[in-house]
Parts: sequence; structure tokens; C-alpha cells
Amino acid sequence: MAMRAMQEATFMILTALADGAQHGYGIITDVRDISGGQVRLRAGTLYMALDRLRADELIAVDREEVVDGRLRRYYRLTPAGTRQLAAEAARLQAHAAVALRRLDLAGGMAT
Amino acid sequence: MTDQEHLERAYRRLLAWYPREFRRENGPEILAVLMAGAPPGQRRPALAQSADLIRCGLWMRLRPSVPRSARTVRAAVKLMYAGAVVSTVNLVILLAVIADIKIYHAILGYHVTAAQVSHVNQRFITTFIVLCAVPIALWLWMARACGRGRNWARIVSTVLFGLATLNLTSVFSWLPPGIHLTLVPMIYGPALPVLYWLVGLAVVWLLWRPASRAFFRPPGCTQAQHQAQMGEFDHEAQMAELARFRARLPRHV
Repeated sequence: MAMRAMQEATFMILTALADGAQHGYGIITDVRDISGGQVRLRAGTLYMALDRLRADELIAVDREEVVDGRLRRYYRLTPAGTRQLAAEAARLQAHAAVALRRLDLAGGMAT
Repeated sequence: MTDQEHLERAYRRLLAWYPREFRRENGPEILAVLMAGAPPGQRRPALAQSADLIRCGLWMRLRPSVPRSARTVRAAVKLMYAGAVVSTVNLVILLAVIADIKIYHAILGYHVTAAQVSHVNQRFITTFIVLCAVPIALWLWMARACGRGRNWARIVSTVLFGLATLNLTSVFSWLPPGIHLTLVPMIYGPALPVLYWLVGLAVVWLLWRPASRAFFRPPGCTQAQHQAQMGEFDHEAQMAELARFRARLPRHV
């Protein structure tokens, strides 16, 4: 069966966690930074995605901390999550390479 | 009350849209993220933030709790939610056009005056709301119950489909001759009942597929026994996947 393309928000969340465990707000700021401000996750969307990713066992809770009286839960990638992110990154890279190659070709023919 | 306390209270109210279990597990953490992202002096949640929390909270309440292994049941539940959405859109359209004299002309085939329309409106609006609200409630009820593995819901869904089939025949027999269905086909013509019926047919077919059987708890079977069966079901699927993987391996490995 063909692999379903990953949603952009999911890809960005997994990418944020590829560098190590992060808490919810850390993921939001990291995703904003790595996307150059283009992807701005809201708390509702983030926790819906985190819940689904946990159910699919692509991420897991790393640890919990209490900072200034508020709960911070850190999430990390699981081996399955790492594999899926790597596969999706490779797929996107292959598609981007084809697009760039064709654009180069079109530019070369035009000049 | 400080600005922060005011904002936190508003966020807590918005978190009430989430299911209790999810709120208990993730509520304090979401609240911490919301408060961390709030600029100083903010007293009320932004409109977009509120809309996001309400949307996600509702989705968490309505989403099927069907494991990925039960693909046919997941598809059936999604179709039932789609049926509820179409029924809701139908209700909104009906309420929007119900006072339009041209529509009456298109349906009934004769001209009516504005006074006649306003006279029948009160009765019609109530009837239409009830007629449209019942299918919405049924779609949602069946989707929720089937998503939880209730075997009775599978049977009730099938009975309702049987009733929808009878209703479909009445739709065609009721239709007066000479009505041009091109003007309002999606609202009053048979297109919508036919669409509902096709969705119902797909739902019933999916619910009674052999692949769905393991998900539905048979009568007399306890929750624990059923979960054990589901575990066995998943285990079998995993073993089959492992066998397929092994078959692809070179012989010397």
C-alpha cells in the first residue's frame, strides 16, 4: 500500500523533536523558528497532534517537570517516529530534487 | 483579579470543550503552554486561539476511538460523521431558503403569495427543523456507538438503513410530475435522500465486513474479554505482517 504523505504540522513537530526532547511551548517556538515563522502552531492543534502521535507510538513522554507551579511534559521521538520522519524527509527531498532539476532544465532552455 | 488570573480563567472555560479524560491528562499542560504564549497584559484569549481550542475540543469529543487495525469500522464511522455534516448543511440551507417564494413555486408548482408563505412558515420551519435534526442526531449517535464497538449499534444502524430504503421509495413516489429538478435538486429533489442512502449502504457494508467483526463486542462478552480478543486480533495482523516481511527476505538470511 502507498505511504500516506505526512501533514506539515506533524512533520514539523517530529522535526522539532529530532534534536532532543522538548516540552509543548518549546515545540511551538522551535517549529516557528525552523519554518522561518511560516508555521505557527496553536496550543489546541499541537496537543491534538501530540495525542495522535502518542497513540501511533511515534513519540513518547520523556519526563515531567514542574516550573513556576506549572506542569511541563517533555516529549521525545520513538524509534518508529525517527524512522517515519527519516522516510518522510527522504520522500520530500526526492520530490524537491526533481522539481529543482526540472526548473533548472526549464531555465536553461529559456536562456 | 489580575490580568493573568482573568486570562487563565477564560482559558479554563475554553478547555471545557475537551473531553473530561483528555482534560484531566493534558489540561494543566495545555494551560501552561497557553499562558506561556500570552503577551503581558492580555486579559482575554485571542479569537483565533479560542476558535482553535473549540475546534480541537469538539474534534476530540467526536473523533472515533477505533484502532487503526479496524480500518473498515474507522471508515464507516467517518462516513457517519460525514452524513451528520451533510444533514446539518441541509438544515442550514432549508432555514435560509424557507421564506423564499420562488422555492415554493419550484416545489409545489404554483405561485403562492407572501402572506401565504408567512402563514405556513411557522409550521413548516418547526417541521423542517425536526425532520432535519432527527437524522443528524441518529448519524452522531450511531457513529459514537459504533466507534465504541457496541454491537447493538451495528444492528440499529442496519435497521435504520432499512427504514431509509423504505423512505427512498416514498421520495420517488411522492414527487409530483412535472417538477423540474434542476432548480433545487440538492435541497428538495431526490438527490439528497439518494446520497444519504448510498452513504448508509456503504456504512452497513463496512460494518458487516469480516474485518469489522473483531471490533464489535458480542453480547455477553465483558470489556476485558473483548480487549483481549482485540489484542489477539492485532497480534494476528502483526504475525501476518511479519510472515510477509520474512517472505521478502533473501533465502540465505
